[in-house]
Amino acid sequence: MPTFKLDGREIPFEPGDTIIRAAWRQGIEIPHYCWHPGLTIAANCRMCLVEIKAERPVMMPTLKWDAQKNEYVPADKPKLTPSCQAPAVAGQEVFSKSSEALNAQAHVQEFLLLNHPVDCPICDQAGECKLQDYWLTSQGTSKRKLTEPVHKPKAVRFGPTIVYDGERCVMCTRCIRFCDEVTHDHVLDMRERGNKNEITLSPGRELDHKYTLMTEHVCPVGALTSRDFRFKARVWFLRAAKSVCNGCATGCNDYLDYDPRQNRVYRIRPRDNEAVNKFWMCDDGMLTYHGVHEARITHGSVRNGQPEAVAAAQAVTLAAAALARVPAAKVGLVLSAQHASEDNLVLARFGSDVLGSDKFYMGALGGWEGDDILRNADNNPNRKGALAAVGGNARSLTELLADIKSGAIDALLVLGGPTAEDAATLAPLRSLKAVVTLASNVTALTQVASIVVPVASFAEMEGTFVNAQGMAQRFDRAIRPPEGVRPAWATLVELAKAMAKPLALTHIAEVRGALPASTKPASAHGSHEEARA
Amino acid sequence: MEPIQEYEDETSLELPTEPMRLNMGPAHPAMHGTVRMILDLDGETVQNVDVQPGYLHRGFEKSCERGTWAQVYPYVDRLNYVSPMLNNVGFSLAVEKLLGVEVPERCQIYRVILGELARITDHLTCNGAMAMELGAFTPFLWCIKVRDWIWDILEQETGARMTHSFGRIGGMALPPTDKLKESVRNILPQIDKVLGETEATLVRNRIFIDRLQNVGVLPKDVAISMGVTGPMLRASGIDYDVRKAHPYSGYDTYDFEIPIGHDGDTYDRFMVRMEEVRQSCRILEQAVERMPDEGPINIDDPRIILPPKEAVYSTIEATIAHFKIVMEGIKPPVGAVYSYTEGGNGELGYYIVSDGSGTPYRVRCRPPCFINLKAVEDMIRSNMIADIVPIFGSVNMIGGECDR
Repeated sequence: MPTFKLDGREIPFEPGDTIIRAAWRQGIEIPHYCWHPGLTIAANCRMCLVEIKAERPVMMPTLKWDAQKNEYVPADKPKLTPSCQAPAVAGQEVFSKSSEALNAQAHVQEFLLLNHPVDCPICDQAGECKLQDYWLTSQGTSKRKLTEPVHKPKAVRFGPTIVYDGERCVMCTRCIRFCDEVTHDHVLDMRERGNKNEITLSPGRELDHKYTLMTEHVCPVGALTSRDFRFKARVWFLRAAKSVCNGCATGCNDYLDYDPRQNRVYRIRPRDNEAVNKFWMCDDGMLTYHGVHEARITHGSVRNGQPEAVAAAQAVTLAAAALARVPAAKVGLVLSAQHASEDNLVLARFGSDVLGSDKFYMGALGGWEGDDILRNADNNPNRKGALAAVGGNARSLTELLADIKSGAIDALLVLGGPTAEDAATLAPLRSLKAVVTLASNVTALTQVASIVVPVASFAEMEGTFVNAQGMAQRFDRAIRPPEGVRPAWATLVELAKAMAKPLALTHIAEVRGALPASTKPASAHGSHEEARA
Repeated sequence: MEPIQEYEDETSLELPTEPMRLNMGPAHPAMHGTVRMILDLDGETVQNVDVQPGYLHRGFEKSCERGTWAQVYPYVDRLNYVSPMLNNVGFSLAVEKLLGVEVPERCQIYRVILGELARITDHLTCNGAMAMELGAFTPFLWCIKVRDWIWDILEQETGARMTHSFGRIGGMALPPTDKLKESVRNILPQIDKVLGETEATLVRNRIFIDRLQNVGVLPKDVAISMGVTGPMLRASGIDYDVRKAHPYSGYDTYDFEIPIGHDGDTYDRFMVRMEEVRQSCRILEQAVERMPDEGPINIDDPRIILPPKEAVYSTIEATIAHFKIVMEGIKPPVGAVYSYTEGGNGELGYYIVSDGSGTPYRVRCRPPCFINLKAVEDMIRSNMIADIVPIFGSVNMIGGECDR
């Protein structure tokens, strides 16, 4: 692989790489605002200017401050090159930390902050803002301009999800390019010139496509903020868990940003993965974290006429007794395409080893509008993983209703993730002798259950999702489950013990080992990591 | 502790021949701070002693590992709370060594002035308290009177009489007040006067001398092998003072002497402290003379020093600087340093480790008292039980430092 020298270090590059991209691949950050690895090159922020050694450098006339004479004197300086645009050339020597390059960075940074409002205390970007980072690394001085800053529109509603602040904007056009190049929807553009320019909407339009939150994510400063996250949390209090989106079968890699003090997830943001989602996620995916906290089931309930609250552990005991009262072979088991492979696998083992029943059904959502960017038409994160747990044979809930009618089923043990069927459709389940539902949140399946056992949601456990491509991806635990509540697989292990037929699997490592070979994650990505960037 | 032995047959009761085990402390008026001594007594003679500090349960070193570097100051204030300013300065110097920066000369002189004032309070508190415990209450009041005058100056400079939290990485919290020089110049002759009065009352007093001389002798070789430092070491006849041996903050440019004793007994320790107060006064005289009235106190680096508050509220650059230092902390480069200064009771060392983040990876403190305290066992052994009080008093153990 050819190499070039960046600040004395050899950097390998692939043909076609620019200097900044080759450095980025090596984990070296040349300061930049407008460049984004997933977007085209704009080269408009001028922050990434570097000095490239040449036989006969192009020199430019300039003025330099002479402290002794106390005035500016004419001088020469080499012409600098934006490293986001300059292709890497084998053998060339690049300096991003030469005095000229540092000087240029400091002055570009001074320009960008010239009209910036004093907003850090009320800005959601504070703590992960490039203006803050580069001020410290590249500028470190106060501005020389003392006149009133230019004022621009603030808190402009761009659409249902995004608010724009013109004064904070550095006009890097990342948001415009994202809409143009990824969603192919020219909804944003720039208007006016010089220090009056601002980002604006296409006439008659709102920023309302399916990837609007990504514009906020690519924004290097606090100009675009998400209405969902605005004023909710300060990012330096958040910790990040590596997770996988449970919105659809694409399985976008993401970070769950949670506050450990409140034990609450505050947002989801994409985690780069070239093989799955590159740098992006859709709005619905980034908002799935709401499902973790909405209608959360924190304790068990038993329905004797009216639902009655019981402790989680007692719900397990009652469930064991209820299941023991019916013939084991007439107990149906409902897998869930919304639950992790681990949960589904232990439920499958429960059917074969504890009950001796092979009546497997699959609860799943009915699909949503897919597209050719990221959204898969199947909005279940783990249909493949759930099916693999039972060797690929599970009947639908419609068939379950038919089986109930024919009297083949007396009782059900259910992973109660959300389903396409609503509670009214599933009403015949109420006639069964027992419906034991393991669920983290209220769904149709918990509404028709006779016993509900609370279990951990995807944010409260580690597990595996198998996406539409068949890639098994591990996700980490972010927050702690409520007191006494455990993941569904562990609850099933408890249930088997309560029925005096303990399962062979008792530990997460054993469950993982028992996963079908095709749905085992290729490699664990490591456990918890504190990542803010 | 051993259970109380019950005699099986009272008719055979004789005077016991085995040593009596007695607890002194942890709550005892003569046990400065909170420390416990387990004594094995043969009559009134101490056969053996086990000194046990650690009753404050602070965990200060661990606490340092969760805030930013600047948030360590309130903890070091409470190490030797009799001279908190010396701890402040010592920690500042440690982090500055890690950062590779040096504060301006005006700040160095300011640190010397505040530090020497703190040293005077430390020594006078020790000597005054020891005299009081031997029954001489008046000198105690005189010494504490001086301490109060000095605390007035420290309060005028820092806003607090005891736990100042006044040091900053790369400088001090505030520049010196206009009144500093005048205040220091005013009290120096008065301190000298009180020293003279105190010595006149005590060192010609037969009872006092009998209680101190040849009591609690710490020979040179034992002091060195125990790692004893400070006035205790100097009283044993070794002229080791960090200010002279490894000068910092420009101490090499001041004209002062290191007093040493020859017997290493309690009397020498008392006298060394008295003389060190005089030497501190000499340093103070020179320092106020040479301190410029104008000039920067803090280094000029936005990565280390907070911007002025008015600028924080009105300009984005200062807001960012403030935000970065407060929310993320000052980030010293990855590495470890050991930095040491002359504290009130000896070499106060900080071994600090940075992982490059805004939070200390490790703040290990070498507290002089903790190490000096171990030598106390040798000093007390074979002395009378009543001698424990002056011996222990002359060590000037400060509980805050001894809690590991």
